[in-house]
Amino acid sequence: MRRLLLILGNDVRRHLKAPWAIVIFIAIPLLMTGLIGVIFAPRSHSGQLPPIAVLLVDQDKGLASKLILGSFDVDQMKKMFQVTVTDEVDGARRMKRGRASAMVVIPKGFTLDLLEARPTTLRVVKNPSEQFLPDVVEEFMATMGVMLSGAIQAFSEEVKGLRLMLDGPVERIPWETLGPEFGKAQKKIAAAAKYLNPLLIGLKEEETKAAGAKAQSSMTDIFSIILPGMAVMFLLFIVQTLMRDLLSDREDGKLRRMLTTPVRPLEVIGARILGGWVMGVAILLIMVAFGTLVFHVNWGPFGFFLLLVVVAAFWTAAFFALFHALVRNRNQAGALGAPIILAFSLFGGSMMNPEVMPKAFRAVGIVTPNRWFIDGAALVREGRFPLASLIVLLVSGLVLLALAVPTLRRRALV
Amino acid sequence: MLEIKNLTKSYGDVVALDRFSLDLKKGEVLGLLGPNGAGKTTLISILAGTLRDFTGTVTFEGRNLFSDRTLKNRIGIVPQDMAFYDDLNAMDNLLFWGGLYDVPRADLKRRAVEILDLVELAGRAKEPVKNFSGGMKRRLNTAIGLLHKPDLLLLDEPTVGIDVQAKVSILDIIRNVGAAGTAVIFTTHQLAEVETTCSRIAIMDHGRILAQGTFDELIRIVGERDIVEIAGDFAAGAFSEALRDMAGADVELLSVADNLASLAVSDSGRIPRVMDRLFQNKLAVTDLKIQTPGLETVFLKLTGRSLRD
Repeated sequence: MRRLLLILGNDVRRHLKAPWAIVIFIAIPLLMTGLIGVIFAPRSHSGQLPPIAVLLVDQDKGLASKLILGSFDVDQMKKMFQVTVTDEVDGARRMKRGRASAMVVIPKGFTLDLLEARPTTLRVVKNPSEQFLPDVVEEFMATMGVMLSGAIQAFSEEVKGLRLMLDGPVERIPWETLGPEFGKAQKKIAAAAKYLNPLLIGLKEEETKAAGAKAQSSMTDIFSIILPGMAVMFLLFIVQTLMRDLLSDREDGKLRRMLTTPVRPLEVIGARILGGWVMGVAILLIMVAFGTLVFHVNWGPFGFFLLLVVVAAFWTAAFFALFHALVRNRNQAGALGAPIILAFSLFGGSMMNPEVMPKAFRAVGIVTPNRWFIDGAALVREGRFPLASLIVLLVSGLVLLALAVPTLRRRALV
Repeated sequence: MLEIKNLTKSYGDVVALDRFSLDLKKGEVLGLLGPNGAGKTTLISILAGTLRDFTGTVTFEGRNLFSDRTLKNRIGIVPQDMAFYDDLNAMDNLLFWGGLYDVPRADLKRRAVEILDLVELAGRAKEPVKNFSGGMKRRLNTAIGLLHKPDLLLLDEPTVGIDVQAKVSILDIIRNVGAAGTAVIFTTHQLAEVETTCSRIAIMDHGRILAQGTFDELIRIVGERDIVEIAGDFAAGAFSEALRDMAGADVELLSVADNLASLAVSDSGRIPRVMDRLFQNKLAVTDLKIQTPGLETVFLKLTGRSLRD
C-alpha cells in the first residue's frame, strides 16, 4: 500500500508540474457551457416577442386611415407594436438604417376609395434583415384589410351617407335622406352586437406542461442542463490523458524498472486506476464549483450528486484501464480514444439534448456513461436519488475493472 | 554470492539462453561480452525479475532469487532504457525510485544527495531531467540503480550512445562499486570497456558462455603470438622457400598464397629478421600488418564472427 500511494503521489506531482492540459480540459466545458447557454437561453421570462417597431405613413389622413392608426392604439396592440407616425421620406431613411421591422404606407385617397368600393392598396415595406417580425406586421395589415373590406361591404348602404358627408360642407347634407340610412345601420350594429358582445369564440392563453417540467426555463436552468453533459465528456478526455502513463511507462521501460523493485504489478496497476479515479473526481468537483459560482447551477442535493460524481469517475477510470490494456501503443490510444469519447458524447447526450435525438441515437446512448450521468444529474436536480444511474455505472465499472486488471497484469509481465 | 545453473529461456523457436550457468563472487565485476542476440539482455531481465517462463535455477546467497520479493532490495538494475521521469528533477526521481525500495525514509534524502555527488550531478539536482544531456541522463540512470546500496548490480549496456567523458565517468563508478564489495554484471559491446573495468570477462553467444576468465586467461586461448600479414609481389613457393630455415617455434607460417602470406610470431623482435630475409630473396613487400592478440581475436576465434556482426 505504501508503494501504491508513492506511485499515486508521484503521478499527481508530475501532472501538477505540467497542469496546462488539465486546465484546458476544465476550461473548455465551462466556456462551451457559457456560450451555449448564452446563445440558446430564453431572452425574457414571459417568452413573448419584443415590441415590433412599425413606421406608419398616413398620406390619406382620412377616416379609414384614422381607423387603422386607432387599431394600433388598442391596449393589446400597444404591447405588440411600437408605432411611429412619419412621412415617407423619413420612413424610408429609418428603414434603410434598420430602425423598424416594417413601414406601412396608407395611400392618398384611401378612405374615399373604400367608401366608393374601389380597390385600393396598403403598402407594407419589410426590413429584409429581420426574419419573423416584418411578417407579423404584414399578417396584421392583411387581417386589417380583410376586416375593413368586410365592414364596407356589410354597411354598403350606410357608407353612401358617409360619402355624402365627405363631399361638401355639413350644411348642404340633406339630413332627412340620411335618417333612414342611419336607422338601418343602427339595426345592423345592434344585430351584430348580439353576436359580437360577448364574442362567441374566446381565446385563452395556456402552455402545456410535461410531467416534471418546469413552466419556464431560466438561464440558470439551461446551464444546469448543459454543464453535466459537458463535464462528463471532458472527464473522459482528462482521465484518458492522465491514465496514458499505463502505456508510456510500459513503452519506455519505466514499468519494467518498477517491477525490478519490490513493488508488485498489482500495486502499479492499482495506483494508476486509483489515480485516474481520484483525479477524475477532483476535476469534476472543480467543474461543479465553477458551475455553482459562475453559472449559479442548481445541482440538487450535493450528497446525491457527489455520489454520482464518484461513481462516474470510477467508471471512467475502469474503462480507460481496460482501454489501455487492449491498445498496443500510445499512437493507437490517441487515434482510438478521441473517436470513442466523441461517440459516447454524441450518442450519450453531451452534445445535444437526448429528447431531440433520433430514436436510434437514443437507443445507442444507453450504453454510454454520458447518458447515465446526465440522466442521474437531472434526477438529482429534481431532488431525487439517481439509483438507476448509480447501479448501471457501478456494476458496469466493476465489470470493466475485472477485465482490465488481469489484462494489464499479463501485459506488464510480458 | 550469485549462482546461475542451467538457465534456459526461449521465445518460440528461438533459444535466447541455452543452459546458461555462471557463478559470481562478492566484489567481482563481470563483463558479459556478446553480439546482438547473444542473450545478454534476456539474462539481465531474468535476474531483474521482469521475465518469466524459464527453466533453471538462480540462487542469491543460497536463496532462490525469485521466491523472496525482499531480495529485490539487494539488487540494483541499470537498464538500457533511460527509465525515469523526464518531467521531474533528478532529486525527485531519486526519491521516487528509492522510495520503491525499502530504504528508510530518513536515509533516503541523505543517500540521494550522496549518490548525486558520486555521479557528478549534485549541482543539477533541482533541474528537470528533460534539460539533461545524454551523458547526464545515463549517469542519473546509473545513480537510480545504486541508490539503495545493492549487493548485486546489473548494468545492461550502460554506456550506449554517450560521449567519452560520460563513458569514463560511468566506468569509474562501476570500478569503485566493485571495489566497495558489490558484485557487478555488466553487459556491453565495447571490448575496451571490459578490458579496463572488469575483473572477469565472459564471452557469450547463442545463449551460452563460450569462454570466461580474466583478460590474460582469455588471451591465452588464442596464444600470445602476433599475427603478421604480408602482401607483396611474390609467388607462394618462393615465399615459403625464403623462410624455410626460420620456421619453427618462434615463426609459424599460417597461410601462403601468391602475393599474400600470414605468419604467427611469438617474439615481435623476429619480424625485422623476417623482412630482411624476404628482401635478401628479392621478394617485393608492399604492405605489412601486425595484429597483437586481444579480445577481438579471442571473440573471432570463439564465435567465428566479429563482435559487431
